[in-house]
Amino acid sequence: MAELSWVATAPLSHVLKPGHHGAETGGSGVAYTGLSDFALVQVMARRGKASALAKAAKAHFGVAAPLKPKAVAAGGSLLIWSGPDQFLALSPRDGLASPLASLAGPLAGAASLSDQSDARALIRIAGPRARDVLAKFCSLDLDASVFPVGTAAATSVDHTAVTLWRGEDTAGGAATFNLLVFTSFAESLWHMMLDAGAAYGIEVGEASYGV
Amino acid sequence: MSSQSHRLASGGLIDRSTPMNFTFDGKPMTGYAGDTLASALVANGVRLVGRSFKYHRPRGILTAGSEEPNALVELRSGARREPNTKATTAELYDGLEAASQNRWPSLRHDFLSVNQLASPIFVAGFYYKTFMWPAALWEKLYEPLIRRAAGLGRAAEAPDPDSYEKAWAHCDVLVAGGGPTGLAAALAAGRTGARVILCDEGTQFGGRLLSDGGEIDSMPSGEWAAKALAELEALPNVRIMARTTVTGVYDGGVHSALERVSDHLPVPPAHTPRQRLWRIVARRSVVAAGAIERPIVFPGNDVPGVMTASAMRTYISRYAATPARRIALFTNNDDGWKTVEAALAAGLAVAAVVDSRAEISAAQRETARGAGFAILNGAVDRVDGGKDGIGSISVALAGGARATVEADGLAVSGGWNPALALTSYHRGRPKWRNDIAAFVPDSPPPGMHAAGAANGSFGLAACLADGHAAGASAASDLGFSKSAGKASSAADAPETPLSPVWHVAGKGKAFVDYQNDVTASDIELSAREGFQSVEHLKRYTTLGMATDQGKTSNVSGLAIMAAVTGRSIPETGTTIYRPPYVPTSMGALAGTNRGEHFHATRLTPSHHWAEEQGAVFVDTGLWKRAQWYPRAGEKDWLESVTREVRTVRSGVGFCDVSTLGKIDVHGPDAGAFLDRVYINTFSTLAVGKARYGLMLREDGMVYDDGTTSRLAEDHYFLTTTTAKAGPVMQHLEFCRQVLFPELDVQLTSVSDQWAQFSIAGPKVRDLLREIVDPEEDLSNEGFPFMGVREVALRGGIRARLFRISFSGEMAFEISVPARFGDALVRNLMRAGEPFGIIPYGTEALGVMRVEKGHVAGPELNGTTTAGDLGLGKMMSSKKDYIGRTMAGRDALTAPDRQVVVGIRPTDKARRLRSGAHLIPMGEMPEPSTDHGYVTSVCFSPMLDQWIGLGLLARGRDRIGEVMRAHDPLRGEDYDVEICNPVFYDPEGGRQRG
Repeated sequence: MAELSWVATAPLSHVLKPGHHGAETGGSGVAYTGLSDFALVQVMARRGKASALAKAAKAHFGVAAPLKPKAVAAGGSLLIWSGPDQFLALSPRDGLASPLASLAGPLAGAASLSDQSDARALIRIAGPRARDVLAKFCSLDLDASVFPVGTAAATSVDHTAVTLWRGEDTAGGAATFNLLVFTSFAESLWHMMLDAGAAYGIEVGEASYGV
Repeated sequence: MSSQSHRLASGGLIDRSTPMNFTFDGKPMTGYAGDTLASALVANGVRLVGRSFKYHRPRGILTAGSEEPNALVELRSGARREPNTKATTAELYDGLEAASQNRWPSLRHDFLSVNQLASPIFVAGFYYKTFMWPAALWEKLYEPLIRRAAGLGRAAEAPDPDSYEKAWAHCDVLVAGGGPTGLAAALAAGRTGARVILCDEGTQFGGRLLSDGGEIDSMPSGEWAAKALAELEALPNVRIMARTTVTGVYDGGVHSALERVSDHLPVPPAHTPRQRLWRIVARRSVVAAGAIERPIVFPGNDVPGVMTASAMRTYISRYAATPARRIALFTNNDDGWKTVEAALAAGLAVAAVVDSRAEISAAQRETARGAGFAILNGAVDRVDGGKDGIGSISVALAGGARATVEADGLAVSGGWNPALALTSYHRGRPKWRNDIAAFVPDSPPPGMHAAGAANGSFGLAACLADGHAAGASAASDLGFSKSAGKASSAADAPETPLSPVWHVAGKGKAFVDYQNDVTASDIELSAREGFQSVEHLKRYTTLGMATDQGKTSNVSGLAIMAAVTGRSIPETGTTIYRPPYVPTSMGALAGTNRGEHFHATRLTPSHHWAEEQGAVFVDTGLWKRAQWYPRAGEKDWLESVTREVRTVRSGVGFCDVSTLGKIDVHGPDAGAFLDRVYINTFSTLAVGKARYGLMLREDGMVYDDGTTSRLAEDHYFLTTTTAKAGPVMQHLEFCRQVLFPELDVQLTSVSDQWAQFSIAGPKVRDLLREIVDPEEDLSNEGFPFMGVREVALRGGIRARLFRISFSGEMAFEISVPARFGDALVRNLMRAGEPFGIIPYGTEALGVMRVEKGHVAGPELNGTTTAGDLGLGKMMSSKKDYIGRTMAGRDALTAPDRQVVVGIRPTDKARRLRSGAHLIPMGEMPEPSTDHGYVTSVCFSPMLDQWIGLGLLARGRDRIGEVMRAHDPLRGEDYDVEICNPVFYDPEGGRQRG
């Protein structure tokens, strides 16, 4: 029998080239990090079970799931609002285990769960020019006065659905934005983002989520 | 090298330490940093810069701004050649190349200027009247001829090498225009803490201050502007955008603005676009766009050397360039006199001032006495001259006598029109103000306020006060309560009121719209022929329809129409404007969405592997799908596809079907929900089973199809066609949220979560045994047709296996999490090697579905019912579902509907093509004998001939009938036989194993 090999391929693995891209500005105006090895579960309240889900989620995650467009840290997970009575649970991947397994029990009867771990690529854009880059493809007002740390949005980029939230500022005080994009669009959007940021100089990197 | 013969020795806002070389029509010249192309041409003594659109009249520079109708040039060369560029706004750069347009063989000797001699026939409506018949000649003769004769510049013939981009910005207060009004508004709003964006189309802020000087807050206005700009730059909440024209306003406070990022450079720097199109979302906006001086319409008003008065003093004061040595002024207002002051200050001679007003101030008389020129009360009624400039200026004096003025430059001021276009973009119709003889904004879009000259307040003091008030109130409206600070002040001298002069009659052409060559007599003709409404006037004469949108001509044109028809101007009305305010390049509108980046692209999990195999890809919506996999020695696609089909039907092959839409349907009512959206029943489907489903639209037509599997009591996995993945998700969400909110069901798109492959062929089980854990039973009993379950794969990962077939072969679909898709194809190839496995593309997939008579996109075309597709028996009579009632309409159940049939040419060697119409034998092809058409075709390797599917009236009763396939598009006509649509293995034994 032939030997089988099951090497996982991250959505950006063919195009993500760590190092400096674009203008030589002496520093980097912006850093793009492709994050992999995450588990992502879509959690949707069953009909009439929103409060039951809220209770169950609070008990399981230790924090209340967001009722507004926010991203809330919950231990090792991040709960990201994705619509009325629904959120995404983002956490580091646990090997080959289905991420549904750990949630199915605690949320049983209150929620429907869909594994989205392979359906999205996660891209982090941070740096002093992060907002200038995003302004080229994102129609949202990301000014600190209206989009504080922890704000999330379900929006569209290049006509595709994107979940976006603002993370903690960098050590240098620059803004950080996270984008979950559909896997099949990831390469296309990555090229578009490289074009958008080239003028500022981009430091490209990759990392495992939560490490 | 020209000597800048018309440059003053000192003064101006140009940088004399930075000379710049440029060429005009190949002739080398020099200018300075800070020049526009127009000011540099003026400095080099160039008067003649172009030929007019229709009559090929010699034309010079009329204005100094974005309203310019005449001085249009081809800028740059080769792939960057840019026609119809206004010399008045093109910033000079070292190495600039400009060429005059619309002339042959040269600007000075233009052959088509003979058009002037034939001008009686080139009047308004000429094209409508002349080129009416025969219609066939339009495309072949008239249009090419007219285009050659009356073209503007030539577009580049190579792809634009530069990049363009779009960007979003957000603010509380947007200020359009950076003159005194705009600076005052931005300061007032900015000081309160409101987020402000200040745009100006020029390089330098200050607007008319840059040309007209004056004092603000007891300092020279230039100093004030610099101080204001410095204060704004220091405010973190204010963004200043130069070279940026606000071009439009749309719903929700979205404004468009065009930033000319690199237009002032020979070539954009690396990573920098040429232009950037902004969408600025503003809660409030202040239009401080100033006003546009209007020329007066008189014979010869287009002779090079005739200029608006404000433009003439801009060239003299701002650019230290002299359009003339000896100037005359024709004015009807005090503002025009500022040009006399500027000319005298620059040491130029003033020949005379022709003022239409009887009342002249003492100060003006004193100026005339001191400088030794005459003030003539009257009007210029003719300028003689041509390509070499002004010959003489004839004046009709108020008393009836005549005078002649000798001058080489004529400054003209007919008053000012507020630049109110932005305020009318939501159909706000401007209102007339008699005191300034101009239209002012009325009912602007929500949140917008016009201020200063754009609102008809022309004095400097008024502009400053108005701007400050507009900025402060916009901010306070939004709740910014910090102080807006003190308004700046200036002293406006008392003015003698303007006395309107629109048209001075006389012999010769008097131009209203310079760019479209519309004359006063064209407007009179329009009135005579009954086109008296402003909308008719515009379309009949083309007044205001050139690239300048009539910025210098619209108001004069309708004033003349008012006079001719004996109405007042407000009675005559006004046209309103449409965005964009200035011509916007297609590049800027497209941004980065050009070429292969025209739209986003979706890639399948096996894409990179398929690329390694040399697959040929096809665009399917946004997807790139492998169409076929050519092998060395195969001479064309048909040979590759035929090999792929034969291999699958005799061995085994696989195809990436990840592009199908995939939806998780969860919840206790998932089955009930599916029963309502599908025509067939899903609530009774057993867990571990798949079923083919068909959805209708509300109108009873087929919407989409696909297989749906039940993975658990409360979990179905639904698939859609590739094309309808998005629309079906929307449709189902609509059903869930709006139509059936009582059902406990949740939907999630999982299209990108799973890599899914169809594996087909008689050797499929042999292959799967190499991949799937040996514990899994894949036999017909252990894994029956339409069975579904999760299985363990060798090596530790889990997959879903579906025993479904689109090819008609024994087949499975296997899906793994998308990150393992690439590994799965490589494992399939490795494990399948002993069985001769191949990948197959969408083309082979299509061939096999046609051989099996399966319907797809060409048959699910929005006009077919389930019955038409031969799937009528699936329509449940035991339940209600979307489309059921409408599907029962008489027309949708009529016996003569076109239904799916199989088609094959009677000549086995003949190629069948889709689109051919099916005509009964012996009939002439015409609509009444057109019984149907061919929808899908392929070369069938199994039947060794071309076959197809089609839609044919009463088709199922016509099996065996020979018909004519009539294909007028390709000029083909041949005989075909109507047959059963299932060409291959009609019993279905192969897929059931």
